[in-house]
Amino acid sequence: MQTRTVVALAVLTAGVALGLVSYFFLAAPLGRPTDESFSNPRVPFAAALFIGGIVLVFASAVCYELIGVRREDGA
Amino acid sequence: MATRLESKTLPYGVGHLTVAWYVVTAFLLAILALGLYAYSRQLGEGEIVTGMRDIGTMGGAPWGIYIAFVVYFVGVSFAGITIAGMVRLLNLEHLRPIARMAELLTVITLVLGAFSILADVGQPLRALINLPRYARPMSPFFGTFTLVIAGYLFASLVYLYLAGRRDAAIMARQDTRFGWLYRLWAAGYTDTPEERERHRRTTFWLALGILPLLLTAHSTLGFVFGLQAGRPGWFSALQAPAFVVLAGVSGTGLMIVIAAILRRALGATRELSIGVFRWLSNFLMVLTAAYLYFMVVEWLVSVYAAPSAEARVAAAVFRGDYAWIYWLSAVALVASFVILFVQYAARNHNLALAVIAGLLVNLAAIGKRYEIVIPSQTHGTLLPYGEGLYRPSWVEYSVILGLIALGVLLYMLFMKVFPIIEAPESGEVA
Repeated sequence: MQTRTVVALAVLTAGVALGLVSYFFLAAPLGRPTDESFSNPRVPFAAALFIGGIVLVFASAVCYELIGVRREDGA
Repeated sequence: MATRLESKTLPYGVGHLTVAWYVVTAFLLAILALGLYAYSRQLGEGEIVTGMRDIGTMGGAPWGIYIAFVVYFVGVSFAGITIAGMVRLLNLEHLRPIARMAELLTVITLVLGAFSILADVGQPLRALINLPRYARPMSPFFGTFTLVIAGYLFASLVYLYLAGRRDAAIMARQDTRFGWLYRLWAAGYTDTPEERERHRRTTFWLALGILPLLLTAHSTLGFVFGLQAGRPGWFSALQAPAFVVLAGVSGTGLMIVIAAILRRALGATRELSIGVFRWLSNFLMVLTAAYLYFMVVEWLVSVYAAPSAEARVAAAVFRGDYAWIYWLSAVALVASFVILFVQYAARNHNLALAVIAGLLVNLAAIGKRYEIVIPSQTHGTLLPYGEGLYRPSWVEYSVILGLIALGVLLYMLFMKVFPIIEAPESGEVA
């Protein structure tokens, strides 16, 4: 597997993982609210981390297209 | 091997500033200045200078035309990236000349949508900090600003960037003042067969990733209204799909208008052939028919045996204060459909008629967005308050006009820096 593919897949995986973790485990709990803990995120700025996850997912496409170019330039 | 871009003049009017361009730009800058002045008044004096008031005790609507235009702008963005994605996914080669126009339309309207939200909130800085800080995934707002404004905008920018690398590489070979920008954008692209194949693969997967994202994002925007069980007129399973379809209607209509203007302004009759408009018109016809179906269903359900609160909102929309907007929107949609269907049946597509249909559906979309947002606030309360009233102030109109002017300006500026139509596949880079 080429370097660019590995890096792109790694960035994609990191993005998906960050999105899932921030949505399900760092943001406010899902489900019917029973107390005030449902009102606030478990980690502040969990939504920003979720956005970061989405950004990484789509940034993987940029990695896939650009990394090869840099390697060729450096070669 | 193919035709090299040998012309000394840059393609599609890039870098070519005409008197008409300066005049239009000056006019748009004046409108933008008016919008900025109006917004400065709103920031300084508070939202009392707008027509927005609290529901119930103040008998108004806290969501006014700013929110109606958030929905409209984000809706327009839907068709842009959908068309661009379909060009790549379905290999609709004859639509390739409008792909970049569509991508740019998506990026700009999403930015305008974000600005509309900031215009709506009284303290924009607090919103920018507190939304990402406290947002709850259970709220549809979470999806709206994370998926629509942030994720979808970033994905569209990536799409626009990657799809433009080849043209940037072509432009980098010309002697222009923006050479540095083209080289930066091209990032070493030389258009080898391997690079083309890699790019084709990337844009295919990117389009495949963006399409479900935007379907989710637009449905989420519909859920902002559709999940509010305590707000008659909004709570409906039809909100999300109707949002998506009307988004497609307004965006495709605007694409027809933009493509027709650019066809004339750039003299691009070969690239933007009547076949392009035929496809867009037929696509718009199908979407308009689908949305008319939604409107009929919505009307039937609300006048048949709706609960009293629902019936009160329906009466305001169909026979009361908002009836003129509703019926004008309905007439505009029906007229557009008739125009498009007659052209389809006669197999004779007229560009001017297609543009009229595109304009009509956009006026209808703005009217329908207004109808979705406002009446349920002024007439849809379950508490024993009287009917409310919302009249946008000059500040709101000015801010919205300023935003539209900003959007057109950004589009015009982009066109002077970068080709708005992709170079044909046969163009040589290296």
